[in-house]
Formats: sequence, C-alpha cells, structure tokens
Amino acid sequence: MPNDDIFVEIECFQQTKTGESACGDDFKSVRIEAEDRSLSVLSDGLGSGIKATILATMTTTMALEFFRRNMDIVQSSETIMDCLPVCEVRRISYATFTVADISASNRVRMIEMDNPRFIHLRNGKDIEWPERSFASANWPDRHLHVSEFRAAVGDRIIFCSDGVTQAGLGGKSTKFGWRREGLLEFVQGKIAKNPEMSARELAQMVVYHARMKNPDSRCVDDTSCAVIYFRRPRKLRLLTGPPFRQEHDREFAEQVINFNGHTIVSGGTTANIVSRELHKKISCDLKKFTPGAPPIFHMDGIDLVTEGILTLTGEARALEFGLPDSAPPAIKCMYNMFMDSDVIEMIVGTKVNEAHQDPSLPVDLEIRRNIVKHLAKILEEKYRKRVIVKYF
Amino acid sequence: MSDEKLLVEVCVGTTCFVLGAAALQSLEDFLPDSIKDKVDVVGSPCLGSCRNRNEGSAPFVRLGGEQIICNATIQNVIEAIRVKLEKMDA
Repeated sequence: MPNDDIFVEIECFQQTKTGESACGDDFKSVRIEAEDRSLSVLSDGLGSGIKATILATMTTTMALEFFRRNMDIVQSSETIMDCLPVCEVRRISYATFTVADISASNRVRMIEMDNPRFIHLRNGKDIEWPERSFASANWPDRHLHVSEFRAAVGDRIIFCSDGVTQAGLGGKSTKFGWRREGLLEFVQGKIAKNPEMSARELAQMVVYHARMKNPDSRCVDDTSCAVIYFRRPRKLRLLTGPPFRQEHDREFAEQVINFNGHTIVSGGTTANIVSRELHKKISCDLKKFTPGAPPIFHMDGIDLVTEGILTLTGEARALEFGLPDSAPPAIKCMYNMFMDSDVIEMIVGTKVNEAHQDPSLPVDLEIRRNIVKHLAKILEEKYRKRVIVKYF
Repeated sequence: MSDEKLLVEVCVGTTCFVLGAAALQSLEDFLPDSIKDKVDVVGSPCLGSCRNRNEGSAPFVRLGGEQIICNATIQNVIEAIRVKLEKMDA
C-alpha cells in the first residue's frame, strides 16, 4: 500500500562538460508501485562525451535491473564491472555508481561505489550512518559501501558525481575543489533559508553553484546532483469533463472545495457546472489572449480555469517533448502546477461532448478519457508523480 | 441611451474555438471607434449552443445575454452589434 503521508520526491539535475555533446553521467529512477519502492541510480562514466555516456548508461541500466530483482549486491556489481567495455586509451573499464533503494516505510539502502559519499540531512545535520564495506575478489581495488537506515519526514538525501565536489579544483579558495564539506555547508545554508525547498530546486542550485566555482563558470566535468526529499505531499486536483449523470454535478463540483491543495478546472462545460453549482462567477479577459490558443478564465477559489481538450492535448505534448517558450499561458501555468505537485488527482467526467462528434470539425478532437490516460502515464513515468484518476 | 454597455460574449469552448473563435478573440481590435466604447467584449467558457442543432453552427457569440449569433465572424458580429445598438437607442 502506498504511504499517503510521505511523498518521496526524487530529482536529478545535470550539466554536460562544456564542449561535449553528451553527458557522461547518467541518472535513472523507477518506481515499483507493487512494492511501494523507488530505485534510483547515478553513474559517472570514465572520461567524457559519448564513451562516458555509454559506460554510465550501461551501469545505470544494469544496476536498476539487478537491484530491482534483489540480486546479491557484490555479485551484481562484479557483473557490471565485468561487462563494461575497456577504454582503449586507459586500458580500464570503469564507471562509478550510487544506488538509492527506498522501500516501504521509507527504509533506505544506499549502495555506493566510488562516487562522493551521500549526505543525509535531518534537521540541518548530516547524519553519518554506519556502513558495511565489501570488496570484490575479482576487483580488489573497488570497494562497495552499503548503509541502511530509515528516513523521516523532512529528510533529504543528496548525492552527486565528482563534477560537484571537485568543482573549482586548483582555485584560490578551493585548492582541492569544493569538496563534500563545501557542498554540505552550501545545502545546509540553502535549506535553513527555505526549509521547504523542493528536490528539483535544490539539485539545480547545487549544480549551478558548482559550475560557478570553475574558471569562467565552465563545466570542466560532467556535473550531476540528485536530491531525494521525503516530504508531505503537495496535492493537486484537476477536474475535467461533465459527469455522466447530471444529478452528480453537485457532488462533482464540490470536489474543488475543502481540498487541501491546488485546483484546476479544465473544460468550458466543466467550468460552467462548477460555476452554477457553487455560485462562483466566471470571468475572462480577452484583452490578454494568445493568438491560436484558448484563454485562461478566472473563478474565485480555483487556481486555474482553462478550456478542455485542446489545452490538455497541448499540455501532454509539453510534458512529453518539453515546454516551448512560446507556449500559451494556460499550458505554461498548468505545466508549472504539475511540476510543483507530488500527488495529482484527475477527476474525469465521462459524458461525451456531442458537439465534438461533428465530422465537420477540422482537427482531431481526442476523446477526453484517452488524453487523461496519456497525461497520467507521462506524469507517472517521466516525472515520477503519483497520479490518481477517478471517473464521474 | 443608457450608460450600460452591451455585453458581447465570445464563446471560446473547444468546438467554437476550432471552428473560428480563435480569430474572434481579437474582435475588440476590429471594432470601429463608433461602437468601441459601447460594448464590453468578454470570453465565455461555453455558451452551450453547440449542443442545440436549431441554433446553427459554431462559433457562437451572444449579445446582451440573449441574442445568439451563429457562424460568427468578425464582420457579422460587428454588423449585429450595430443593429442591436440602433434598436437600443431607438
């Protein structure tokens, strides 16, 4: 059963070494719903560019697969090391990794090989858990470190590639780089100022700050930072489509009141139902419209009110392929609301809009349920959101 | 004539939008000076007319909260506003 009280926000931010076309660090994260478990891996491949990408991607792919099957840690790691292609220049095969395995009740197992040691922040302090070390018979110089502990609400786990800790290497104030101590001090400072800072924001800040330590703010190495934040879930509820039975309109509309989170109403008829049932006025200022895109409406107490099918279709495209700068305000606003939420509830009215069945309509108007399903899938798989869809 | 402005509601529901309301959003920019100050142009999430075959085809615009204009274009909406304003003045 998913734990409803704590949401595990997992985010990684990366920058590629200046001048390279591919990042030599790789991060992968999957959620295994049936086990209420999340598995994340960060790997730093030897060298940079395509060669490093291949090493890192092979490592993360194998690690995810082995650890999700609960295979033996040492044996899995040996297999990974054995499989990696040998670099022609350096005559070795090498990629580091950090695995964060978070299972039910927030039990955490960190498995590390040669990445900077992870930070576990609780109430502003870095907790150093005892670790067990393993050496491989075949690879005597590679050591695995495993720590196990239970995380609490508000905890953060931060791990990175050495692009972060070695940033500024050789500089005046950072002769030996930013180091783990510098990173720790930085994140402690940021969190003290903004205790609710999201994992997304913190990971970005760390990478940008590391970069600034380097001469000319160049990325002298691939730089990645992953942050796992155990937080109270930020909730979002989206209502779209009229209910199948009109007598349920009232109950449907009431879903946006007394809700502990943000709310979106997407759909003209849907907005009218909410307006009628809750006696809220809708307004729309056409002076601020974007050509070619439906406008934003306003209704007291609702964070965002938009047109339905076209906006949701555009939203799915933005989530899948990236948000263009030219995106209309409705899509931008919804995008940011999705990004800033952990649990997204979609309440979908299933009445078919007969006007959309008119064969003379010039564009494909998708069936609402299909768009919602598609949106839910992207939000779950690409953005690791918890999505709940309810039909009305 | 009273000070009250004539309410012009442009439906920007999905059906109307794809059948031409996208262009009607800029109606206000095309209003002649003679009527610009006498109307209030706003968007409506859905006027509900697309569900009623008898009311013609989308896009729809509503004048004064009662008169529905079907197959609305900038030209025929401006014309209808003129007629309506003349009636109100009379």
